This record gives sequence, C-alpha cells and structure tokens, in this order.
Amino acid sequence: MIELVLRSLWISGTATLLATAWSLPLVFIIIKKNLRSLVTFFEGLVGVPTVLVGLLLYDLLCPRCPLGSLGLLYTPQAIVLGEAVLVTPLLVATLHTTLKRAYEEFGELVLTFGGSEWRALLVALKESWEEALGSVAMAFSRAVGELGVALIVGGNIAGYTRTMSTAIALYTQMGEFEKATQLGAILAALSVGVSFAVKVALKR
Amino acid sequence: MRKELLALIALVLLASFALYPRPQNSFKVSTTTSLYDTGLLDVLAKAFEEKYGAKPEFLVVGSGQALRLAKDGAVCLTLVHAPSLEKQYSEYLTDHIIFAYNYFVIVGPKEDPAGVKDARNATEAFRKIYEAGEAGKALFVSRGDMSGTHVKELSLWKLAGLDPKGRPWYKETGSGMAKTLIIANNMKAYTLSDVSTFLKLKRDGKLPNLEILYSGSEELINIYSGYRVKGCEDPNAKEFLRFLNSTEGQKIIASYGKEEFGRPLFYPAEGKLEWLREVWRELAR
Repeated sequence: MIELVLRSLWISGTATLLATAWSLPLVFIIIKKNLRSLVTFFEGLVGVPTVLVGLLLYDLLCPRCPLGSLGLLYTPQAIVLGEAVLVTPLLVATLHTTLKRAYEEFGELVLTFGGSEWRALLVALKESWEEALGSVAMAFSRAVGELGVALIVGGNIAGYTRTMSTAIALYTQMGEFEKATQLGAILAALSVGVSFAVKVALKR
Repeated sequence: MRKELLALIALVLLASFALYPRPQNSFKVSTTTSLYDTGLLDVLAKAFEEKYGAKPEFLVVGSGQALRLAKDGAVCLTLVHAPSLEKQYSEYLTDHIIFAYNYFVIVGPKEDPAGVKDARNATEAFRKIYEAGEAGKALFVSRGDMSGTHVKELSLWKLAGLDPKGRPWYKETGSGMAKTLIIANNMKAYTLSDVSTFLKLKRDGKLPNLEILYSGSEELINIYSGYRVKGCEDPNAKEFLRFLNSTEGQKIIASYGKEEFGRPLFYPAEGKLEWLREVWRELAR
C-alpha cells in the first residue's frame, strides 16, 4: 500500500519534472519567436486520451518495434516517459499564458534597460514563479491520475509497475469496488495535497 | 534555500530514473483475467518461485490482448482460454499445453423469465433467452471485448443459429467478467460467465440477484491453454510451462478454491489430456 503510493509519487513526480525540463525552454522559444499557432496546437491536445499516448508509445517500445532494443517496455521508466509526453500540452499551454503576461509586464522593461531577451524571459519566470509552479502541480495531478499510459506501457505488474491508478482499475475489474474507492480517495487526497504543498512551500 | 531544495529533489528523482532496479530472474506472462483475479496464478507463482527462484510477472488482460502481446513479443508466455482465437495466432506460438479446464455457466435472475433452467442443452438455453428477449421479458449482457468468454458466447449464438447483435435487449459492456456480472446483477439480466469469477463474487455477496441456471454440458467447456512465444528462449519461462503440468502444479490447480468455495474452481488436465486435446481441436475449428 505505502509502496504503491510511493511508486506512484515517484513515477508521476519524475514525469512532471521531465516534462517541465523540456516544456520551459519550449515556452521560451514560443514567446521569443511569437509562435501562436503552436500554442493553439498544444491547447487542443490538453485532453488527449491517455490510452492513445500509451498505444503510440507501445508502438515504439514493443520488442519488435523501432525502439524495442532499449528494453523499456513494462518498466517504470516507460510510464515516466509516457506521462511526461502526456502532460506536455497542459504544461506548455498554461506556462505560456503565465509567462507571456509576466514577459509583457516585466520582461520588456528589462529589454528597455538593455538586457538580453533571455535575461528578460528569466526575469519574467522569476516574477511569475508561483503561477508557474501551479502549472507544474496541475501537470502532476494529470500524471498521477492517468490510467492509459500506465496500463499499456507499464503493464500493471505487481510490485514493479503497479501504480495507484492501475491498482484502482484492477480492483474494479475484480469487482472489489470498495477497495477501488478507498484507493481512489487516497489518490485524490494526494493530488490535492501536492497542490497545497507547492503553494505553502512558496509562501514561507 | 528553497531553490537548493527544489534542485535537490529534481536531482534525486532524475538519478533514481536511471538507477531504478530491475527485477532479476523474472519473465513476462500475459494471462486471461479469470486465472489471475481468482488468485490461482499467485498461488502457482509463489510455489514456482520457492522451488526455482524465478518469478513470473503477470500482465492481466483479456485473451484477445494477451495473444496480441504474445504476437508482439512483449511477453514470453501466454495463458489463455479461447481456442479459436489461439489458432489465429498459432504462427507466433509454440509449446502448446492444456493445463486446466472448467465449465462456463449461464447465469441469470432467480425468476428465470426465459426458462433457461429447463433447457436440454446450452444452445437451447440461448435460444430461450433470445425468444424471451424479443418478447421483452429478458435482457442479456455480453462482455463484448473479444475475451475468451466473449468468444465462447459468440460461438454459442452461432450454434443456435441466432444473431443477437444490435437487438435492444442485448447489451455489450466491453468490460471484464466481474464488472459484467455486476452489471447483469443490477439489470437482472442473463450472461455467460466463467464459473470461478461467478462463485467468488457470489460468495462476496456482490450478486444477490443472480443464480447459476445452466451448466455442466460439454458445449460449455472452458479449456485453459499455455503457450511459449516463438523466439523467447528464457529457461525459467520454459520451466514454468512444465511446472503448470507437473504433478505439483496440477495438485495446486485441483485443490484451489475447495476450502473457500466448497468446490474446486478449476479441474486439472492431468489424465484427461487426450480428451481435452480433442475437444480443443473441435473448438478451434
């Protein structure tokens, strides 16, 4: 049980981090080059079915597939990758809104004082730090609650790739609705808890 | 301070991503839900692990998906119960064993509006359900998910010369056996189930409206097969297939569920292999 919670936290936490690591530079480039249509593209993908992401990744990772030789299928790392891809549209779309506003407010001031564009973007990020972390918490919530990726590229293997959401699905499939509901409640509480923890950590 | 803390967390997460331990001495087995959900596979796996020090990891899916995973080489073994589907995938499979069997049961509301209890055989039972459905007196819930049970159900409709698809009383749930049974219970509908899942849920008090109305005839036989996927040479996986049909494995299968349910959930294949192979060939046609 505790193991399940810790594994879920770890998998979805790492996925969120990975997604942030590539989404932030992407958002910087989008703002710098004013690539509006790319933002619209990501906005449209925010609700992409998790099963679709799982299946597409499966088609890359299965042993007879292009990246099969990496041996990543049915590992926690595969779930991390899939969830990172899954939450990227949400991160890009929300980070863009936040950073764009801060850039117009503070970044352009930096520019008029002769700072570089990158410097301006960093200042914008610093000024909107709290909202930006809110986006990251949202991405974590989507990752920890998703089912399709974890089921398809994780495989729901007991003690190895079983996460809270796949355990909920399994209990439901077994007709153990009570256990599934309990786990679901814990998952929701955890997700809300992380959201608050981020805010509280910032207030101090 | 805050930034250092965040950076530290990030570092630890990324390092663990690379260093997360992989299970040693394990092999992947895709399996149909009924074997796993009843708990039988866990008992077999534990006995095997104690004896051989290797661990089967189960991917619990319907027979259709289990075979697809075998085709893709995503697993080393597959345990399924859908002879006609198995045949379609035969070019990817080898080392076929039959290790257990039991009987599907036709379950439905106690009141039995279709009169299934008086049917002389399973196809007649299905015909009665069809007629009662058309008359607006009965509902039938189908798995509709290409699982072994669903494939069996479709073959029974075919044997009866009927096609219920699209009829208003015929509901496809597209979900697993337990969910389908609970839906049937809530709708007071008929359905086809493997006996093990039904008994387990019945014992847990989840199916107050449903009873076994018809069972036991040879048309309702449910044969569990195991295969090794061509190209997978894992010695532990090969050993696990042998273990299922060993005296020890067969003993576990024969006794599993006796204490809990008052009757075994599965019958061992030992001693009946020739008959089972013949029935299997019949079903695979």
